[in-house]
Amino acid sequence: MQHILSNIIFLPLVAALLLGVFRTPLHWLRLGAVTASLIVLALVGVVIFYFDPSGGMQFLRVAPWIQNYGITYYVGVDAISLVILALIALLMPILYLYIWKEERKGYWYNMLMLQTGVTGAVLSLDLVLFYLFWETMLLPIFIMIGRYGNGLYQYNAMKIVLMTILGSMSMLFSILYLGYGYFEATGSWSFALNDLARLHLDAQTSIWLAAGFLLAFAIKIPLVGFHTWMAPAYGSSPTPTVVILSAIMAKLGVYGLWRFGYGLFENTLVSYAPTIVTLAIIGLLYYAIHAVMEPNLRRMFAYSSGSHLSLIALGIIVTNIYGWGGSLYFIATHALASAGIFLMIGLLFKRTRSVTIFDLGGIAAVAPRFAFFFAFFALSVAGLPGTGGFVGELLIIIGAFKADLWIGVLTATTMLSAMLYIFWMLQRTIFGQAGSCTETFEDLDGREMVMLLPLMLLLLITGIAPSLFIPLGEPQLTASLAEVMKAIGGLQ
Amino acid sequence: MIHELLLILPMAIIVIGAFVLMLLSRSRVVDLNRLNLVAVFFLGISFLLELPQFGREAVLFSFPDIFGRMYILDNFATLFDLMFTAGAMMTLLINTDYFKSRKYYNGEYFALILFSVFGMMTLVHANELITAFIALEIASLSIYALVGYHKKNKISSEAMMKYLVLGSMTGAFFVLGTALIYGATGSTNLGDISTFIASHGREDLTLVIVGGTFIMVTIMFKIGAVPFHSWVVDVYHGAPYPVTMFMASTFKIAIFAIALRIYLIEFASISNIWTPMLQVLTIITLIGGSLIAISQSTVKRMLAGSSIVHSGYMLIAISSIGLGSEMAAPAIMFYLIAYFLSAVGAFGILSFIASQSRKQMTYEDFKGFAERRPYMALMMAVFMLSLSGFPSTIGFLGKFYIFTAAIESGQILLAGLGILTAFISVYYYFKLVAMMYFYPSNQEEKKLKINLSSGLIALMALLVIWGGIGTSLIPFVPGVDGFIDIAKQAIGSLYLK
Repeated sequence: MQHILSNIIFLPLVAALLLGVFRTPLHWLRLGAVTASLIVLALVGVVIFYFDPSGGMQFLRVAPWIQNYGITYYVGVDAISLVILALIALLMPILYLYIWKEERKGYWYNMLMLQTGVTGAVLSLDLVLFYLFWETMLLPIFIMIGRYGNGLYQYNAMKIVLMTILGSMSMLFSILYLGYGYFEATGSWSFALNDLARLHLDAQTSIWLAAGFLLAFAIKIPLVGFHTWMAPAYGSSPTPTVVILSAIMAKLGVYGLWRFGYGLFENTLVSYAPTIVTLAIIGLLYYAIHAVMEPNLRRMFAYSSGSHLSLIALGIIVTNIYGWGGSLYFIATHALASAGIFLMIGLLFKRTRSVTIFDLGGIAAVAPRFAFFFAFFALSVAGLPGTGGFVGELLIIIGAFKADLWIGVLTATTMLSAMLYIFWMLQRTIFGQAGSCTETFEDLDGREMVMLLPLMLLLLITGIAPSLFIPLGEPQLTASLAEVMKAIGGLQ
Repeated sequence: MIHELLLILPMAIIVIGAFVLMLLSRSRVVDLNRLNLVAVFFLGISFLLELPQFGREAVLFSFPDIFGRMYILDNFATLFDLMFTAGAMMTLLINTDYFKSRKYYNGEYFALILFSVFGMMTLVHANELITAFIALEIASLSIYALVGYHKKNKISSEAMMKYLVLGSMTGAFFVLGTALIYGATGSTNLGDISTFIASHGREDLTLVIVGGTFIMVTIMFKIGAVPFHSWVVDVYHGAPYPVTMFMASTFKIAIFAIALRIYLIEFASISNIWTPMLQVLTIITLIGGSLIAISQSTVKRMLAGSSIVHSGYMLIAISSIGLGSEMAAPAIMFYLIAYFLSAVGAFGILSFIASQSRKQMTYEDFKGFAERRPYMALMMAVFMLSLSGFPSTIGFLGKFYIFTAAIESGQILLAGLGILTAFISVYYYFKLVAMMYFYPSNQEEKKLKINLSSGLIALMALLVIWGGIGTSLIPFVPGVDGFIDIAKQAIGSLYLK
């Protein structure tokens, strides 16, 4: 039990190394990757089974790493990271199913390493360890966009790397400063989150250090103004990468805001709250308008994803139980829905070699199953009642109303605008007359159905019976919210 | 007597080796390959003899009754000796193919390498300014000759002239500085000078400060700090690949060694006088170096430009020492180790490729490299990541320690600037990775020739990664902590009396 998280993190990497060193042929590579991802899924299942909802941080593992500077290998899981951990473990086998026929070996190696990177970032509780995973998860993305992408992929790969590393570097500065601050205060080194959280900083320093972290997360989410890499990168990415970008990496930005923003700077975040709320609301509307106008489906859902992530960021920053509960719920359901829709777009691209709305239309007539799944995932992105997204969005909007009437009103527009671009898009791609591209459109085959069904079922279950899941996260959210409120004290 | 001879045996073997090679160089019986092995043999013996000396608790002087305290033997010097001999061995072994492919190589090449190693070793052992100067000139003169080794090539000769003229001129500053310090203190011995400085007030030290500044000019020139950098890119570019590799990885370290010794021992009590000057130098070195590196189109020139930036990072730590940071000196040592490993690897791959083609190796030439040579490309990517300070490589920890030391000494802005230039460096290092991986190749995949060169490069790549993530949990294998412990031990020996 003690090593279970380490196994979850490193199993894919070890698999990649072993398979790579022996230069295994493709079918072994494929088998190895899928086996690794299934074992990880099973292990995550074990973690969920033994997880105690009111137990706080669990499955802790601390091992010395760089003793001279008190840097440790420190991992653990709580309700928030468990949600993202489960998402990663679930999405990976699905993505392998998607790239089943892929013959370029690099794909498989990069996916394995990517899994280690993102899992490590979610689970690490030591800032240097977190930074290590946070940066290294970028490499497979960089290589995959740059090698297997489309459009101006080389340029866009460089762009996403440079912009995210700019954020990471500012975070590194803050981490170093915090570590040194701890050394100065206590005389010993530590970069562990719970040690640094106890550190008392004066307001001025704290503002600057928080800015370092926030820049990294704002670029990753991306909040409006830090988003210039988003649409090009999503547009140029191959499908597995775009799924990871939208379902996992963007969520890690929000997760970072939660874990490290509130963990280290709960007082300071209050003074940033108006800015973040403003950016998030502008983002909601700005991305939605972009999504309405965008003819390229990948870019359109990139903007849609940006809009929803702004919503999640807002839900976290309003700091009440509805906002937090909704955000956690929406992290999970949006990841499922966006993974689904990006997979559908990938399948569409495989068949028609186009993701432009103008080339499409009339798919429902030739491929009813495809049209059904496509419409389902598109609508669950929009937050159709009955799908999980609705619950999450609703909770966040309630939280926003509780915080302020006008924030609530502006936030509520997100549901409206999402309906607008989703329905219009559906009308033009699925229905209408079949064009030259879509006349010979093949319907979904068995493997593709198997790949999509789990996502669909989970979206339905989370939509219909949220009471199954909410109690899992609630105790911890209430507890940490109480802590944050106590720290903020009379400030609000 | 015998005991003392044993202590300086590693140096002596290098000199003997150099003479043997010089005598053999015109022989018809011994070809280049054998000469190479002979050179490696002498370096290897020296390395092995040096190895057990590390970790000695006391500081010794060789033949104090004859030489006074000119020639010091401590862990600091031993560690550098190990790096020099290792660097020279790497240079010779990785480039076995290179000198076979070039007609202009002959036997003196090996003798020159050994002479310069001898110079560098003497330089780090020098506890006295005149000795240091002579050692520096021994090392430099060999390097001048090596830079212009391709006599018929105009670029190579131009580089040699440029380096020779500028280098000799700045070398004169060292002598002048020594003279001024001697005039003030009556000694050129580092220990005596530092006691003199510690026992006198600021007003008596004007000559010492001016002299120290002159010595600093020489050092700054040799490490390529802006504004003394104009030679760097051209000389690195003009020199044959193995020589560039030797200069960037090994010779540069030697300069930092003497800089650290002078700065930490001789001027310890007044080192904060130079701090503002060093800070300005650091700022312009970081910015200027980044600008130079970012605008290059050949990889060799980019690495040359970026080596200026790396000097800049280490200058940050040097000014941190002046401001009383305890971590700064070990941080420099660690950074030197990290830079040594990464630079040997990166230049090693370049000359490995150069031995098989005559291309200039621009960024464009690297297009599709990952498909032609997947393993080489992977290793090159590792070295690029390490040089750019990407986590999970040793280069990251090097920067980590340097920036932490800068924050410790209160140089927040300098640490910020360092991080910013590290960010810029991501651009020009990742550009190479992008070129290697993002473009299809127009040639077939070449089979990897598993020989000594590629094996050593692979070893460097493994060390780079192990130095970044290595845990200390595995028994008998030093982890990341091992490297910094070695650095601390070496620096600690400087303070032993």
